[in-house]
Amino acid sequence: MKSSNSIKTNIIWHRRLGLSVFLLLIFLAISGFALNHSPALKLNKISLSSNWLLSWYGLEKPPIKGFKLDDKWFYKDGSNLLYADKQAVAACSAPLLSVAKSSNTLYVLCADTLHLLTENGQLLESFSQLDGLPVDAQAISAVDNTLYLITDASVLEFNPESLALNPAPAIDPASLNPLTAQLPVPESLEKQLENSGPSISLETVILDLHSGRFFGQFGVLVIDIVGLLICILSITGLLAWINRLRQTK
Amino acid sequence: MFNSLYRNLLNNLVSKVVFAGLLTTTLLASPQLSAKGVYQSGPDFFAEVFAQQQPEAGVLWLNSSIRQQAEKILGRKVLGLRVRYQHSAGKTAWILNEIGKEMPITIGVVIDQGKISSVKILAYRESRGGEVRYPAYMAQYQGATLTDKYKLDKSIDGITGATLSVWAVNKVAALALYYHSQAMPQPESTN
Repeated sequence: MKSSNSIKTNIIWHRRLGLSVFLLLIFLAISGFALNHSPALKLNKISLSSNWLLSWYGLEKPPIKGFKLDDKWFYKDGSNLLYADKQAVAACSAPLLSVAKSSNTLYVLCADTLHLLTENGQLLESFSQLDGLPVDAQAISAVDNTLYLITDASVLEFNPESLALNPAPAIDPASLNPLTAQLPVPESLEKQLENSGPSISLETVILDLHSGRFFGQFGVLVIDIVGLLICILSITGLLAWINRLRQTK
Repeated sequence: MFNSLYRNLLNNLVSKVVFAGLLTTTLLASPQLSAKGVYQSGPDFFAEVFAQQQPEAGVLWLNSSIRQQAEKILGRKVLGLRVRYQHSAGKTAWILNEIGKEMPITIGVVIDQGKISSVKILAYRESRGGEVRYPAYMAQYQGATLTDKYKLDKSIDGITGATLSVWAVNKVAALALYYHSQAMPQPESTN
């Protein structure tokens, strides 16, 4: 009689434990399978960059700011690409500092390179520090179709034909009004850059879900408990099978 | 026939051993293996190349056919509508950029009468693979010309650990030769 009660209790607890870890067990099996075959499934190549996921991981997606000149927006994305409206035109690995227009040429100054663009926003050429751009370039400004480069120490006149920089002692620095304040770019432009900037691979997310780390220490504790329950489940299952064998004998 | 084959193989082997020896010596002699940095500015490069001459500045506009061919050589989109160079008496000097692994390598190439006269790394921004800048490696490009398929006519020995940088220099060397052919077209043969 006593033995029959303990068998029933064992089966009841086996069922309860089985039901309580049922969903998590299936999830762990599927996520474990996915992680085992991650290279084949290319999970590490799939980037996730939704705002809530990035904020969950403590990564901030900075607002994209740029300059508006001549009805065109100039800004850079997280991959250090310079954009003229929706078109990527050049690399801009240093901070974007200033823009100006002189004659038919648009000028975009990144801290280490001055880009010359056509009115349509096509890159003509780039003038870098290696070519002679001063390392302390701060801003550019166009006055009477002449482009001036403002550095920490002086104002220089830029010749777009020869790419020469010459001192401009005659110009009053106060008369230059460089465009240096960046504004948030319109939502339509920001949307197209959704996939640039910080991102997290799907493999990382699945691994963190599988281990419970996705939910912090609490998640790890839950997965630990589930692991323990699976051990108990297998023991109660084994006992139930042994008891059944005895009963049939 | 067997003798000439044997001699060719021996010559090839000797040249490779000499190259490897020179490269190893240069690497061992180098105090710093991380070659990240700017080694020469553009104006200084041109001044060195045309030390005894008065070069003229030139601009090559990349029309659609030149751009198309340049993109084939580099295997990527070419940005910019024009490329500047310096030239004097059939010699041109170009400063071009190409990505090694992640960062652009700035390379100066001098072409004299349709053949590469010298190749020099002016700025290297990757943390590894900077061995390509050593003279023993760069000397391989001397005398190279462009084949009909827009490749270098010389086989360039690679460097372990700098494969991508080597590919980048090969592409830029071929591109400079192509740009030279467009900027300094050869007069039609009268034969």
